[in-house]
This record gives sequence, C-alpha cells and structure tokens, in this order.
Amino acid sequence: MVKKLLSIRILFAAAVTLSFAYGVFEARTYAYLARIFPFYISLVLFFLALINLVQEIRKTVQGTAEEEAGGTADLEVKWDIEMSQVLMKFLLFVGVIIILYGFIWLIGYPLSITIFIIVMYRYLSETKWIWALIAGLAGLGFLALVSKLLYMDWPEGIFKLPWPLG
Amino acid sequence: MEVVFQSLAVVLQPHHLLMLICGVFMGLAIGILPGLGGIVGMTILLPVIYGMDPHSAFGLLIGMVAVIPTSDTFPSVMMGIPGSSASQATIMDGYPLAKKGEAARALGAAFSASLIGGLFGALVLTVIIPIARPIVLAFGSPELFMLALLGMSMVGVLSGKKPIRGILAAGMGVMLGALGDAPAVPEYRYTFGIDYLMDGIPLVVVGLGLFAFPEIVDLLIKGRAISEVTTLGRGWWDGVKDTFSHKFIVLRCSIIGVIVGFLPGLGGSVVDWIAYGHVIQTSKDREKFGQGDIRGVIAPESANNAKEGGGLIPTFLFGIPGSGSMAVFLGGLLILGIQPGPSMVTENVGLIYTAIWSLALANVLGASLSIALSKPITRLTLIPFSFLAPFMVLIITFACYQATRSWGDLIALLLMGVVGWVMKQYGWPRPAALIGYVLSDNLETYLFISVQRYGLDWLKRPGVMVLAGIIFVSLAMGIFFQTKRTAATSGGEHGKKAS
Repeated sequence: MVKKLLSIRILFAAAVTLSFAYGVFEARTYAYLARIFPFYISLVLFFLALINLVQEIRKTVQGTAEEEAGGTADLEVKWDIEMSQVLMKFLLFVGVIIILYGFIWLIGYPLSITIFIIVMYRYLSETKWIWALIAGLAGLGFLALVSKLLYMDWPEGIFKLPWPLG
Repeated sequence: MEVVFQSLAVVLQPHHLLMLICGVFMGLAIGILPGLGGIVGMTILLPVIYGMDPHSAFGLLIGMVAVIPTSDTFPSVMMGIPGSSASQATIMDGYPLAKKGEAARALGAAFSASLIGGLFGALVLTVIIPIARPIVLAFGSPELFMLALLGMSMVGVLSGKKPIRGILAAGMGVMLGALGDAPAVPEYRYTFGIDYLMDGIPLVVVGLGLFAFPEIVDLLIKGRAISEVTTLGRGWWDGVKDTFSHKFIVLRCSIIGVIVGFLPGLGGSVVDWIAYGHVIQTSKDREKFGQGDIRGVIAPESANNAKEGGGLIPTFLFGIPGSGSMAVFLGGLLILGIQPGPSMVTENVGLIYTAIWSLALANVLGASLSIALSKPITRLTLIPFSFLAPFMVLIITFACYQATRSWGDLIALLLMGVVGWVMKQYGWPRPAALIGYVLSDNLETYLFISVQRYGLDWLKRPGVMVLAGIIFVSLAMGIFFQTKRTAATSGGEHGKKAS
C-alpha cells in the first residue's frame, strides 16, 4: 500500500498542493499590490489541489485509480510496455540530457551537441561511424549557419574553443 | 474595404511572401513529426521574430500554424498515429484507407477539405472584424478581466478529463506567469533569490518544455518510424472529388471548426472528434465508419483547419487565446510590441487583415505543396524517429537558449520538460497550463486597473455581472456533464464486468 501511495500520480498531486501552499505562504510577505493576485489565486487553488489529492489517495486505496493520460486537449498516451520500463527509459533520457549539459558547461554548445548527435546516431540508431560523423557535422553546419544568419548566440564552455566549435 | 486591399498588397510583397513560404515549409516539417503541433512550431519561431517587422513576422507565424493541420495528416493516414492533437480523428478512417492501398485518395480528400476549411475560417474572420468592432470597443478593463477569467474557467473545465485537474493545470500556469517582477509595484515574487527568475520564465522555455520535450521522449521510448505504409496507392483525384461530392459535410464541419476554435479551452485536440462525431450522427449509413469511409477523413480535416480562423478572433479582439498555439501566438504579438485586445480594431486593423490574407494564402500553399511533395514527404515519414530526435534536441535547446541567453533557460527547459512529461502521462492538460501562463499577466493587469479605477464598484458593472453569470453557468455545466459522463463510463464498465 505504501508503494502504491508513493506512485508518481500521487507524488505529483502532492507536489502541486505543496507548491500552492508555498504560493500562499510566500505571498503574505509581499507589498499589497504585489500580494493580492498570487495570494488569492494560490489560496483557492490550494484548496482545490487538496481536494484532488484526497481524491487521488482515496482512489488508490480503493484500487480504482487508473492511468489516464491526456484528456481532450492533449494527445493520448498508450504504451505497449510496462509503465516501470517507460519510467526507466524516461529517466535514462533525462540522464543523457544532464550529461549533455555537463559537456556544454565544459566545452561549449557546438562541440557538445555535435558529439551528442554522433553518439546518438552511432549507439541509438546503430548507424555506421561515417554516417554518424556526417550527421554530427550536418548539425554543426546548421548551427553555424543559423547563428550567423540570425545573430544567435550559444552557451560557451569553460574551455574556449575557436569558432564554430565554441 | 480599403484597408483589406492595402493588407493584400503588403502580403504580396516579396519579403512577406518569402517569410510566409518559410513558415509554410516549417509547418509542413513540424506537422509530419508526431506530437509536435502548432505550439512547438510557434515556440521555436519566437526567438526568430525578435526585432522583425510585424507584417513579416505574421507571415512566418501564420504560415506555419495554418499548415500544420494539413501536413499532420501524413502520419495520421500513413501510420495511424496523429501528427498533432488536431488530427487524431483522421486516423479512424484515414489509416484503414491507407491499408487498403488508397492512401492517395485519403490524402487528396484531406488536403482539399483542409483547404476549404482553412479558407472558410479566414472568411469568417474577415466578416467578424467589422461586426465585432463596436462590441469590442465597449469593453473596459473589468470586462476584459472577466473575459480572461471566462477563458480560464472554460479551459479548465473543458480541456481535461477531470475539471478539477484542468482548473489546477490552468492555475499552475497562472502562478508560473506570476513569477518575477510584479506588474503593479517594483517587487520580485517567488524568485528564490535566483537572478534568472526575476523576469519570470520565458514563454519559449515554458512552451518547449511542456510540449516538445515530452513528445521527443515519448517518441524515442516508442522507438519506431513515423510511418509504416510505404506506398501512396491510387486515387488523388478521387479524393478531391470526394470532398466536393460531400460539400455539405465540409461546410458544416468548417462551421463547427470556427465555433470550437473561438471557444477558449477546446482548440485543436477536440475539434476533430466533434466533427467526426457529427458526421457519424448525421449519416444514415454508419457501418463503414472506422473501416475506411472517406467522410471520416473529410469531416475532421475541414474542421481542424477552419478552427485557426476561429481561434484568431478572441486572440486578436480580446487577447484571450482559443488554444495552446494561439496562446503562443499571443506571446508572439507581445514580443512584436502589439497589444492584443480592443485596441487592435482601432490601431492595428491592417495587421488583422494581413493575418487573414496570410492565413488564406498559407492554406492554399500548404494544400498545394502537400499534394505536390507527397512522395518525398511520404519517404520522410519512413525515417525512424531516433534519427530525427538528436536534431530536435538541437533545435529546442538552441531555440530555448535564445530566450535570455543564460544557463537558466536550459535548466528551466529540463525542469519544465520533466513536469510536462509527468502531466502528459497522468492526465493533467498541458494546454490549460500554457494558456494560464500566457493569460496570467493580463489577468493581473486588468484586475489592477479595474480596482485602481473603480474600486470595488467594477463588480457592479452590467458587463461584469453578465460575464460572471456565464462563468458560473459554464463551470456548473462543465462539472455536471463531466460527472454524468464519468458515471456513465463507470456504469458501463460495471455492466461489462457483470456480464
């Protein structure tokens, strides 16, 4: 039961409730005109979030909670695999993005994203090295072109590299 | 009338046309990528339009958003997965037709129906502007506040399976929009001492985080090509003829599209199902629906293109977005220095007509290009998503970084992405959150002006009271019908279990 209650569904509902509670708590300290809007909005939403949280917990305890995705204004989510596997893959992707950010912090955006594309092509899409390299260079070329044409910047790393690598 | 033709002259200028064509090509590309609809496309374009003249920016933005409901038909018909939320119902009959070897017929019907629907939406928008002008000008800050509140309440109630989650999602967006400097006084709110949050989280980051990131992750997890059907088969012209032989379905569904586009909270994701349901209900021979009936393609496709014209009406006239993509468009208007709302019909009426002409032209271009380029586009849909994903990551991280050019953008993108993914998996409507975020600033400003100018007397204004009544009725009806539907569903399930 404890495991069920610690499901992402309930944890997310609890996080939403807590964030509105924080919204009320923090808004008290602001000047009147800055306070009035967030205070009352988050106060009303806090009570609604609490009702939602209680409903979620009750459904989980009764065993009637179902994994319902989307809603009418969103794309439906249907998985052929177990939700735990989906979650693992999601966390893996988030981990990859964090590693990418780490590389960007070290060596800058262009070289990091090029390496990212090459690695993804080589190990996720399982292409040959040559195609992975071509894809990486295409990404770098696109980046260089767009940033020159539209005067866009990219994050620089600790180690400064010559254009277009850093 | 003069301003209408002046706007046409602006639209036909080479620079504007070039921007429009760029937007159309981007729309075609984004439409064929499953899940990445108008919200993501518009958000990617936001950093590009900084400093651009409004007419050219309109060409780019409207060119793109007008074409997505046309090109998203490719994955719906070829694979049976929606290119965007607006083309889910097209799958019901489009995909069976493709499996029968009649993909070309389905696409031909879809593109011609999309074209007519899109033009109908633009026509309605043209007619509405002069009629709505005196009504819109009668609206003051109190009424605009109530209208924004009405939009929020409708979004909340209508956009999710559970009204309470819809309202909470919209509220999350409002609170997210309240981050940073307060509009009325020099005070920073909810910044946790982080400099990045002093100006709030930029729209680009919120849009891409909530929408693009979760779709990329989900498609990578599914790990397959966009399409499985390799040949288009026969019947392009038959498809076009089908559309014209079912002209009344096209007309009725276009009207549905405009109305649904106009209503905040419904937007693209439900318009196709309403149109599909309507065509089934009004047809005597219903047996073939779901097995490849061409009417099941024509109805949703005409409705989902028409809704863009309908969605622009509240966006321009009241500053209330009808859907998620219109919310981003509203953000784009603010970036361009244009304040949507009643002043649009006095100060920027030329821009409205530029948008209308762009919408019409983009629909013609989009449908023509979709037919002309159908073979290469079909080949593109055979590429596994793992080949496209790294480039999508490049585009969203690069676009995000342009918002404030700080590390905060990238970190916020990841955090918003995680929140967006969880929301998607567990039925929290993300469009409601986005609309809440965009409306947040307007809500607070209108409330502030109303209180400053009228004290509490603003609540006694007739317009405010009427709108308050409508909000109450819409909330009550939304919750009532939702409860009824839930009861019917659970009753059905029990019935099934019992039998």
